[in-house]
Amino acid sequence: MTSREQSATLLRALRITKRFAGVTALDQVDFDLRAGEIHALMGENGAGKSTLMKILSGVQPADAGDILIDGTPVAIGSVRDAERAGIAIIHQELNLVPELSVAANIFLGREPLRAGLLLDRRAMSAAARTLLARLGIDLDPDARVAGLRMGEQQLVEIAKALSLEARILIMDEPTSALSPAECERLFRIVRQLAAEGVGIVYISHRIEEVMDLAHRVTVLRDGRHVLTAPIAEMSRDRLISAMVGRDTAARPPEAATKGPVVLSVRNLGLEVPGRRGWRRILHGVDLDLHAGEVLGIGGLLGSGRTEILETLFGASPGRASGRIHLDGRPVEIPSPRAARRLGIALVTEDRKGEGLLLDSSIRENVALPSLPCISRFGIRRPAGEAAVAIDTVRRLGVRCSGIEQPTATLSGGNQQKVVIGKWLATAPRVLLLDEPTRGIDVGAKQEIYALIRALAAEGLAILMVSSELPELLLLADRILVMAQGRKTGELTRAEASEEAIMHLAAPLRAAS
Amino acid sequence: MWSLVARSKLWWGLAAIFLIGVLTSPVSSKGNNIFLSYGNLLDVLRQVSITGLIATGMTAVILTAGIDLSVGSIMALCSVVCAMLLTVPGWTPAAAMGVPALALTALVVFAALTRFLFRSMAATGSVGRRDERRLDMTRGTLLPLAAGAAAAALVLWFTIPQVATKFGVLGVLLVTPAVGLLFGAINGIVIVGGRLQPFIVTLAMMVTALGLARLTAGQNNAVLPVYTGSNAVAGFDVLRSLVWGIVPVPGLFFLAAVVIYGAVLRFTSFGRYLYAIGGNEEAARLSGIDVNGTKIVTYAVQGMLAGVAAVLFVAQYRQGKPDAGTGLELDAIAAVVIGGTSLMGGRGSIAGTFAGVLIFGLLSNLLQLHNINSNLQLVLKGLIIVGTVLLQERNLGEILGNLRLNRARGDPATREPPEGETEPRRYGGSANETS
Repeated sequence: MTSREQSATLLRALRITKRFAGVTALDQVDFDLRAGEIHALMGENGAGKSTLMKILSGVQPADAGDILIDGTPVAIGSVRDAERAGIAIIHQELNLVPELSVAANIFLGREPLRAGLLLDRRAMSAAARTLLARLGIDLDPDARVAGLRMGEQQLVEIAKALSLEARILIMDEPTSALSPAECERLFRIVRQLAAEGVGIVYISHRIEEVMDLAHRVTVLRDGRHVLTAPIAEMSRDRLISAMVGRDTAARPPEAATKGPVVLSVRNLGLEVPGRRGWRRILHGVDLDLHAGEVLGIGGLLGSGRTEILETLFGASPGRASGRIHLDGRPVEIPSPRAARRLGIALVTEDRKGEGLLLDSSIRENVALPSLPCISRFGIRRPAGEAAVAIDTVRRLGVRCSGIEQPTATLSGGNQQKVVIGKWLATAPRVLLLDEPTRGIDVGAKQEIYALIRALAAEGLAILMVSSELPELLLLADRILVMAQGRKTGELTRAEASEEAIMHLAAPLRAAS
Repeated sequence: MWSLVARSKLWWGLAAIFLIGVLTSPVSSKGNNIFLSYGNLLDVLRQVSITGLIATGMTAVILTAGIDLSVGSIMALCSVVCAMLLTVPGWTPAAAMGVPALALTALVVFAALTRFLFRSMAATGSVGRRDERRLDMTRGTLLPLAAGAAAAALVLWFTIPQVATKFGVLGVLLVTPAVGLLFGAINGIVIVGGRLQPFIVTLAMMVTALGLARLTAGQNNAVLPVYTGSNAVAGFDVLRSLVWGIVPVPGLFFLAAVVIYGAVLRFTSFGRYLYAIGGNEEAARLSGIDVNGTKIVTYAVQGMLAGVAAVLFVAQYRQGKPDAGTGLELDAIAAVVIGGTSLMGGRGSIAGTFAGVLIFGLLSNLLQLHNINSNLQLVLKGLIIVGTVLLQERNLGEILGNLRLNRARGDPATREPPEGETEPRRYGGSANETS
């Protein structure tokens, strides 16, 4: 520790100020980073973390303030300037070209050339392979990025940033889409890089992760610097109260009373078209979902969790097999439209890509799935739409200027409330949630948790996929664990623990 | 409507062109402003009505982030069909194609309409906000089929006697759009069923329909002349006449299409679905919207409008010919884009397209009044297209800024858009969140 404290200050940012259209996003914020240090940056959404990092990485200019690197003032006016200064950033939202290969993405704009003209694919591929091997990432450099899972794409982003040989690495919520195993791998890499002398700015909402990984932590709130301290002097509660400015102790929910079985699934299978014929994704999954209960689905990324939800919503590209009963009646769910008519709703993992029309207002988004019932003979009734939207905004506590606000300008937590709200407006019986709190801040998370419990208490049957074990343990009445497309176990509230889930979620041996 | 006028730079552009027209127009011997005369302005309306009809349908197609390159060819084919029905008696290729097309269209459209009505009645009464009530066999299948069959029988009863003689005005007004609708629907079905790019599918249809138009016309008939009163029914002239001696009939068709389709986009759930599909197709699908059905209808309506335009073309130019609609699709797309509809889908309006069509029409008229060389007219039109779109999307400072930034940074791939610039299409970025 002492050696690190004595080590040179790599980066110092002084009195950084930034305003957007009259709103002060950053107000005279100071920040510093030492070589070999992992410095966590925390704060709720809107606290100014991302804005500060965008300024340091040259994406946006600051309105006022100085940036010093190795004690020398520098002007960072562009991403190029930042890269030259040795600063690389991994954005929370992926910045990859889906149709290009992993290697091509890593070296985008810096492709190795043959004779100064032709793309040297082989060299690029080999370099990428070395890089991925160093990170312990098992990915084919020639695989198309579009075919990768979200977590794998994130790893490509990390490899890309590291290939720049950066001295300062900014990571904006790198673990928000990773499975526990992938997180562990990432932490190993991050520690390794820090040991090599790289300064790492680590932005995360996950407190346990930060307590575990970081050396120092800086907390921002409402664009102001709240504190900077060694992690050893911090506790979970102190961090939360610093971020939120109020107490948000998670209340353990009371056990819900189970209702009748609403959704019963037997022998659910799924095959999707792959490069070599049909690939089996789900193998004979059984589940029973009761009214008023939250059934959690745990498992690693790619274990088939999301596919269960997609299949039950008729949104899977593959062909499904097995029997589904809703309220005791056998049903077919060939399309999302059929699912909606049956009263099944899906809130997807990727709310921006699959959940929202970002250009459109809250009213238009909320009304979209219920339009057939709000309309009369196909003619829309704006008053009816407004009533539904106002109802949703009030009920879920969406913080907005009004129902006509475009959803693109809402914070992540409020966007998620809109997505959940648009489905609640269709009066569903079964609610499927895929990573309902991914990438949203502590305060909003608590609100979503409370909402999920309240909905279950009203008798809604909820099936929830989550990578965050504390979240599963907090919310779920029962937890079903998946591994490699098979159900490997079902845990009651009493049996469930992080260890028990991880034990069931660990991949089976290759021989099986 | 009025708020749109005040809000959009587009309408100012229209006003500007109008003003330039008035100020620079030649003056007749009696001292009247020729540009401003009723005769001239209504002539503009007549001239733009064919492109306008196509552009109206194209707006909806582009709103879904699609494109239809086949409209010109479909119109050409329809013009041949229309001219042949008017002038040649008996089961010509036109009649053999047109009458079954009309019967099929009547069957499908009326069946779908009936089913939609039953469905709407069921949904209106349903509990909660979920349209879970399923239609039973009678209302879901049998009655719609019966309605469709009755409609088909009715149109057959009406058209088959006309085959032996020659078709009348109402006959061609029914059959020709049905042919267009059929080909438009084929576009939609192939795009949706094959999950293909609309560009490719409609490009293929453009070539196919042109070939069909030539085959239908026959080897020796590059042009099928329509002389009302001698080889065709005299009443057909009504489609090129003036109502109350002032308003040209083609213009009425155009205005009707604008008002009806504009209202559909604005006030119906179908219209909202078009915007939703263009805005985020995956989100639309996952919201339980019938994305495929909506797209097929959109392309079918576009084809139908091309069919209507073909009838007006035949009336206007007294002929049907396989090269009737050459370049029409591009004129229509240009008008739509000038009207502020995004080629990426999800943003735009029929009102904008209406303004775009008028800007185009007034401009051509102005250039003609000044006797400007027709080739030079093309050059000027091209410049106007780019200029108008630039004016709507950007301001001058932004354009200069973009050029300078690109040179300085040299690497657009790694560059994020500056905050504050509206970048509504960036789903991946968190440009609008300050976290």
